[in-house]
Amino acid sequence: MLQAHSLLWHYLWVAPNVLLLILAALIWRRELRKQFPVFLIFAVVIAIEQLVLYAADVIPAVSGPTFWRVFWAGLLVEALVKFALIGELFGSVFGQYDSVANLGRKVIRGVGIALVLVATIAAAFAPVDNPRFTVISHAHILDQTIYLIECGLLLFIFLFAAYFKLGWNNASFGIALGLGISACVHLATWAVMANGGMMDKRHLLDFLNMATYHVCVLIWFYYLLLPQKVVTKSAVPLPEHSLAVWNQELERLLHQ
Amino acid sequence: MNLAFVLVIAAVLALATILSVAVTRSFQVRGSGGLSGTIRPIDVEAFRNLINPDEDEYLRRRLPPGQFRVVRRERLRAMAAYIHVVASNAAVLVRVGQAALATGDARVADAAHDLVNDALLLRRNATVALARIYLALAWPNSGFAAVPVVERYERLSGAAMLLGRLQNPAVPVRLSALP
Repeated sequence: MLQAHSLLWHYLWVAPNVLLLILAALIWRRELRKQFPVFLIFAVVIAIEQLVLYAADVIPAVSGPTFWRVFWAGLLVEALVKFALIGELFGSVFGQYDSVANLGRKVIRGVGIALVLVATIAAAFAPVDNPRFTVISHAHILDQTIYLIECGLLLFIFLFAAYFKLGWNNASFGIALGLGISACVHLATWAVMANGGMMDKRHLLDFLNMATYHVCVLIWFYYLLLPQKVVTKSAVPLPEHSLAVWNQELERLLHQ
Repeated sequence: MNLAFVLVIAAVLALATILSVAVTRSFQVRGSGGLSGTIRPIDVEAFRNLINPDEDEYLRRRLPPGQFRVVRRERLRAMAAYIHVVASNAAVLVRVGQAALATGDARVADAAHDLVNDALLLRRNATVALARIYLALAWPNSGFAAVPVVERYERLSGAAMLLGRLQNPAVPVRLSALP
């Protein structure tokens, strides 16, 4: 069952991408596209990229090197869209609050530069384990590099928001959660592959990647489409006793 | 493979952090009702006294250098304790303000937005002030400014009171209401 080209393998490669296209259509219809235009582009681009890769894998006429060239091209487009999506998430969480947005932008730039440096060093130390097909090793290393940066940036956004106790809206949170889980698991699997680990069991890592991606698509469905509980919209006044204490402090200042 | 091992560990830690943030968020959403009760009162006057540079200068003149450093460190630790409470209150107000943002009333939403913005700025300033205090603990003779934190706290009090008034117009908040 856990073999390449098994029924489960076909399902895990095709189903999440079909679901993602359906999600993109529903986002379009529900006007969520105005709120998350980059996520809509992300959903369409990633789904099409993966379906093209699937077709390239199963069509016998497509040679191995051609498949990996398509993989490379898809990876570069995917990286651009993902980083734009991270920017959209950052804007949706912090953008409306000037007091932290400027600081956050400066810090995330610094974190981004540091991550690029770390990822470059990690890539420089990764071995090219298949001299006959360097394109494969290079693709693994590029994947590791992209997921390292993506994972770091998403982790920063989560921690920055948590430090300031800033709440997320459900859709932003769902997108970030799915993207974060996907980035962490993919970073781990691509790091193993890029560094020559599990040579004879790499199909298991592929299954892990595909299953994680499927779960993430379902997370996006849940957070973007299911109606969420309305949380105490009217019953959130400040407590009287708290205001009184604050008044007390201010009155002391006024009487100085 | 060593590099892979390091990256796998890093990825697992990142995943655990993201999932713990997700779990914490779900608990916060459920328990947002009694938030305001967690705001702790702060004696702003005592804090002002603590950060008054004239007081420091007076102590510096009156005490021998060794004793001054001991007293200064005690005052810095007290300052840090105050600022921890200020930061914690600001965090609560961020959540209270964000909950109020969802109300349909535009005036309440505006006041809530201002409250959240001020609370975030206060939390940011508190973080910077704490960093300076811990630095000053190492070098007690150095000076630093924590005054912006106090000013921000006062502004935040004003924003919170405005939001309180808008949400509970039947219960007017007056500075002279206290005995």
